[in-house]
Amino acid sequence: MNATIEDVPQRRSAFRRLFRDGAALVALAVLAVIVVAALLAPWLAPHDPFATTRQPLLPPVWNEAGQWAFPFGTDGQGRDILSRLLYGSRLTLLMGLLSVAIGGGIGMVVGMLSAFYRRIDPFIMRVVDVLLSFPAILLGLAVAAIFGTGVTAIIIALAIATIPDVARVTRSAAVVVMGQDFMEAGRAIGLSDATLIRRYLALNCISSVFVFLTLRFGQVILIGAALSFLGLGAKPPSAELGMMAAQGRDFLFFAPHVATIPSLTIFLIVLCANMVGDALRDVLDPRLRR
Amino acid sequence: MATTALKATARRLLAGGVCLAAAGLVAAPALAQSITVVREVDSDRYDPHRSTARAASEVLFMVADTLVSLDYDMQTVKPGLAERWEVSDDGKTYTFHLKDGVKFCDGKKMTAADVVYSLKRWIDPATKSPVAWRAGEVEDIVALDDSTVEYRLKAPFSELLYQLTQSFAVVIDQATVEKLGGDFGVKGFNGTGPYCWVEWRPRNDLKLARNPDYNWGPPIYENTGPAQVEEIVWKIVPEENTRMAAVATGQSEITQYVPYSTLNTLRANPQLLVSQSDAAFWTYFAGFKIDREMVSEEAVRQAMVLAVDQDAIAQNVHFGEVEPAHSYISQAALDWNRELDDKLIRTDVEKAGKLLDDAGWKMESDGFRYKNGKKLSPVAYSFAGSTWQKLMEAIQGDLRKVGVDLDIQAFDATIAWGKMATQEFDLFGMSYPYISAGDALNLYFRSSNTPTPNRMNWKDPATDELLDRGKAALDPETRAEAYGKVLEKVHQAAVWIPLYHEPMKLVQTKKLAPVKPHNIYGCGLYKGLDIKFQ
Repeated sequence: MNATIEDVPQRRSAFRRLFRDGAALVALAVLAVIVVAALLAPWLAPHDPFATTRQPLLPPVWNEAGQWAFPFGTDGQGRDILSRLLYGSRLTLLMGLLSVAIGGGIGMVVGMLSAFYRRIDPFIMRVVDVLLSFPAILLGLAVAAIFGTGVTAIIIALAIATIPDVARVTRSAAVVVMGQDFMEAGRAIGLSDATLIRRYLALNCISSVFVFLTLRFGQVILIGAALSFLGLGAKPPSAELGMMAAQGRDFLFFAPHVATIPSLTIFLIVLCANMVGDALRDVLDPRLRR
Repeated sequence: MATTALKATARRLLAGGVCLAAAGLVAAPALAQSITVVREVDSDRYDPHRSTARAASEVLFMVADTLVSLDYDMQTVKPGLAERWEVSDDGKTYTFHLKDGVKFCDGKKMTAADVVYSLKRWIDPATKSPVAWRAGEVEDIVALDDSTVEYRLKAPFSELLYQLTQSFAVVIDQATVEKLGGDFGVKGFNGTGPYCWVEWRPRNDLKLARNPDYNWGPPIYENTGPAQVEEIVWKIVPEENTRMAAVATGQSEITQYVPYSTLNTLRANPQLLVSQSDAAFWTYFAGFKIDREMVSEEAVRQAMVLAVDQDAIAQNVHFGEVEPAHSYISQAALDWNRELDDKLIRTDVEKAGKLLDDAGWKMESDGFRYKNGKKLSPVAYSFAGSTWQKLMEAIQGDLRKVGVDLDIQAFDATIAWGKMATQEFDLFGMSYPYISAGDALNLYFRSSNTPTPNRMNWKDPATDELLDRGKAALDPETRAEAYGKVLEKVHQAAVWIPLYHEPMKLVQTKKLAPVKPHNIYGCGLYKGLDIKFQ
């Protein structure tokens, strides 16, 4: 009767299939390395990420003028780029994770409510439509205008931008689940709405929402970096990848590493998150199952 | 068949396109008498009495003239619309004898009445000019005849002639001002300058055309008129690297607005010429709001001043293209007191730390100082935009070394001015142009100039008295002495963190004859009379 229990053996094989996908595995490994490095930033960073030195724009070691003391060189204020990268990834990942978690959580509840209570469905979906019509960058600018700039404002903006998409995905999954016999049966034996939503609806929707959020994570990081690049994000001296790229923009002609190293890191994080999300979708989506 | 026909048509069209392009190339030399100057920001208007922006002055110097002009040394006053002038012995009456044959852009003859109208509009309370104080305490300005103007002061104002060289003192046409009303300097302008106003598209470009009758330029130029190019287009390009690219690719013939970081690249470009004026009278500083709790302690301010490394900032942020500032004004400025040469502000991180220790601010394990559970974390208001952001971060980095956690809040230029007029910050970043010690000090340190531009709330009767004495002095020694004392006072009280003096640097294509940079109000091209194609 309970579809989630039936799913268990399938899911186990799903993970096995995921591990057979070489590209996804590499992406997962790279992402894991970045996450671990970011988590261990205080222990791994060779320098204080905020300490300025009198050696600005030192090139990275692969350039002949580089120094091993600063493997990725220094930025315009003479700060160690590697250390800033570690701390910056931390902030960027945290920003992505939090906004996806908050936006995803709210979006899922909204989507399920919409599918469960058909009477409020049109109303909720129109609100979602309105929200969908705002580009995330515009939302970010609006939120920054209200709350001021900073990481919190970016997280709020990204979370709000995530809600409508997640609500849509959840609703379409939930509508299918609502048509299943076990929902009817649950109602027949007198389960409360809360129990039905929590135990049956939520657990049956969560896999598709999870896949969507994995894919969304990459996008959110990218938009977050863009907002930071526009100067709405982290306050100096804290490091954030998008902001680091923005600061390096002025030196692009003669010290390109200041902008390119954080940009490449953003690229890697987004690429890997997307590849992992793609692979997860492939193995979890029953329609794509062969 | 159809495809062949199509191809043929396409070929014909392409050929036509090539012809058109070629025609464009042929037509180009005709336009070559036009030059484009790229710059970062536009002014809100071009009314000499109602705009203080450098962007406005840049254009006003070209479309209008002042009674007297300033030489490249920023110290010598030369004739302008007035061919000569006399100053009475008591220093209160200035008589200007105007040049003959000066005409406005619309062909009307300029007379003493126009001069009187312009100067009176400047000081008229109804104009609400933020720079009316620059005209001194005027008793009256009268036209003795068509070519003589008498400027009567209530008290001597030794800087009057320097102030009259500024763009606020240009001569404008009354009829045009009255006709255009609020649109004066927006939709039109009528002056006697070497160039005439054509059209302004705000935040896009401003077009000026040569005034063919002009022959009354200041004698600091070899060519006193008419101008040697047909047209000047002032174009707004906010992104600094784009401006640099515009100069490097020939889209702009000349500009002073290229990032310092790219100057070395531009110097290496054989098609470009980078020149610099010796006078660096545009100073960047960070000022304290001295009655705010966190920075009301003199020791805290002194420590912060000592912690900032001006030499490193000039080197790191501006690639050594600027002069590190060790006083609030340039040592080359008029009336600089030589006795201060060995009392300059120098970086001393150790002493800064000791001052804070003695004042009871103890360093905690997080690397910042605390007193009574309160973190030493002053709030700094700054302009957003790459220059100030980099500067503030550099200051923040230096302060961090002595345990001060600077909280930077950057605002877009549209709201920054309003924010900096409030009382809610501890430190603010600002830069300003001046010609003399008195010009600078009278602007910022007079009690009556609070809340702006005296954003520091520096209210000191002794300072006011010294400023008055300097302002009214008739000889340079008294001025230098009075202003030197003021500087010593404010240095001692650590009211500002001086950062650097900015010299004027021009980047131009070698297709133009070398243009000598002027530093008047930071407007490098001044009247633009020496701009010409080789």
